[in-house]
Amino acid sequence: MTPNGAAIFVAVMLAGALVASEPIGFSLLYAVIAAFALVEVGLRTFAALARSALVVLPLAVFMALVWVGFVGRSPAEIAAGVPGTRVASATYVVVVCLRLFLIVLATQLVTLRFERLTPLQFICALRIPTTAKRLLALTLSLSETLRHAVERARTALIAAGVITRRPSLRNIINGWMLVQTVWLSAITIAVGRMRDKWPIEGTLSRLDDLFQRAQPQSLGSGDAIWLLLGAGAAAFGIGIGIA
Amino acid sequence: MARQLITGPNFSGRSDALRVRLTAGGPAFFVGPYAEAALSGLASTAADELSVYRADTVPQRAPFAPLDFEACADRKPQSLSGGEQVLLALQCFSQSTYGAIGIDTALEQLDGSNRPQAIDFLSQLDAGEVTLIDNRMAAPPPGWSSTACTRGTPGFGCDLAGLMAGLGTRAAPRIVIRDLDFRYRRGVDVFTGAALTLEPGHAYRLFGRNGAGKTTLLKILVGVLAPGRGEILLDDQPCAPWRHGNETFALATQNPDHQWCGATLREDVGRRRAVLKTSVDASRVSDQQIAAAAQKLGIASLDQHLYELPLAARKRLSWLWPLSGVMPWIMLDEPTVGQDRDTCTVLAAALAVFCRHGYGVLFVTHDDEFAGQVPHRMVSIENRRMSTS
Repeated sequence: MTPNGAAIFVAVMLAGALVASEPIGFSLLYAVIAAFALVEVGLRTFAALARSALVVLPLAVFMALVWVGFVGRSPAEIAAGVPGTRVASATYVVVVCLRLFLIVLATQLVTLRFERLTPLQFICALRIPTTAKRLLALTLSLSETLRHAVERARTALIAAGVITRRPSLRNIINGWMLVQTVWLSAITIAVGRMRDKWPIEGTLSRLDDLFQRAQPQSLGSGDAIWLLLGAGAAAFGIGIGIA
Repeated sequence: MARQLITGPNFSGRSDALRVRLTAGGPAFFVGPYAEAALSGLASTAADELSVYRADTVPQRAPFAPLDFEACADRKPQSLSGGEQVLLALQCFSQSTYGAIGIDTALEQLDGSNRPQAIDFLSQLDAGEVTLIDNRMAAPPPGWSSTACTRGTPGFGCDLAGLMAGLGTRAAPRIVIRDLDFRYRRGVDVFTGAALTLEPGHAYRLFGRNGAGKTTLLKILVGVLAPGRGEILLDDQPCAPWRHGNETFALATQNPDHQWCGATLREDVGRRRAVLKTSVDASRVSDQQIAAAAQKLGIASLDQHLYELPLAARKRLSWLWPLSGVMPWIMLDEPTVGQDRDTCTVLAAALAVFCRHGYGVLFVTHDDEFAGQVPHRMVSIENRRMSTS
């Protein structure tokens, strides 16, 4: 599989997850993703499953509390003005969570599939316009900046004793300070970079050079198989939904 | 080939002069003292950082690769130690097509092996321009010219003797570290069965190559990192700062911006003091004393926004909390980076005073001249162990 094929595959799975609403549609999409995991990722699939669960679980708990616990009706029932049931609201929560889990899992699996490539190598291999590549690289840069800011703010507050590394009452009381410090750090890191390093070097133009040197890969036969399977499952889901 | 050393004290306009020189001749490579000024910020891994700068043609200069970054290609540049970040930046430059390079005090973070190599590399470049600010360099190397900056910016003093006026005696706890194991996730072992004893009333210099684990040890002691195994005893009592929080060590980080707990000095100090409000330590300094101490560093008001200060002033201000005497152990990570010789001398004298008053001092520096001014014992970190001499 190539990075281009993987990107399209994730897009297809995302589209399929968004339109699927019936059990059979979801079953097909999950069957395709399971086959992909088995063939392309192997045992590391468990890591992807764990990470995806970690992302979706808090949302699932929150939605279950709100929709099943408090509202007691599904959005469709509210729109139709009928009394509704908790079963319908629970079904709604399950469908939303299945969609999100599928999207996160597909992204995680593709990330693991290409973990030997660095993020910039992956972007370079994509057959997309340079502007889009630049946008992706800067988005990654922003994400790394935020992660660095979190690390920096944690270091500052833990070293000062304001919060602790492990969960504690102090963390609950002073947690808001972490948010403020992270934000302040992120801004100052970005400003520092743009004040000195980037204008002196023209650092951003280095990215364009890098992308021009890169040789994007074409789609291969491996891509075609997964894309056909994914598109088939998504189309079937759409058809079932319409029917 | 023009190689120039810009000399002068802090706030004399050296950094401005460096920028003017670099921007006059088109794009130039820049290495500042901290991550956001040394690294591109566009790469998530060391391999990507190299690829951003690598030229498609072979650059007409000797390679510079004292560390094998290809072997740790997936390490995040931000997670490298300060010295390693500088080495990565220089390796990027060596592979690039930039004709000029400017380095603002960054080489001060390099150890005794890497620093001479870096200076040799810069001295042997065949073409282009090299401009350097370096407080550890008393005179320009052979073949280099020098420009002195004298413009003064009033307002940032460094009266550490005045800051410490009224410092009382203190019985800092004895620190014993036993069987310490630590490794970063996906990283190599930093400590394996390491042990160390630190007596109060003494200064200890942590010494080791770039990336040996000096800063890591400081982070373990303040609770930022948790060891895989081992224990820390304070006066024979077990202590786990990573679990219960730090109430013993006042740390001034290598990059001062890694230690601020708020936007203003008042917020920063207030939050630190609030944590200690139940302990006797909090009564050691009042807000008025902190404000008076800040004035000794040229900060007129506690409402000063920290990030509006020049970097060298922020670095000095990062010593305020450790030198306020609230915490019994003072830890300074590369305190001399970006500081002129006079300031380093004043700081060294201050640390000696703290030791005489019963405090414990632990500092990291590659600056032998500074270390020579502080009566200290050496803690070497080598092969994942620590040894005192």
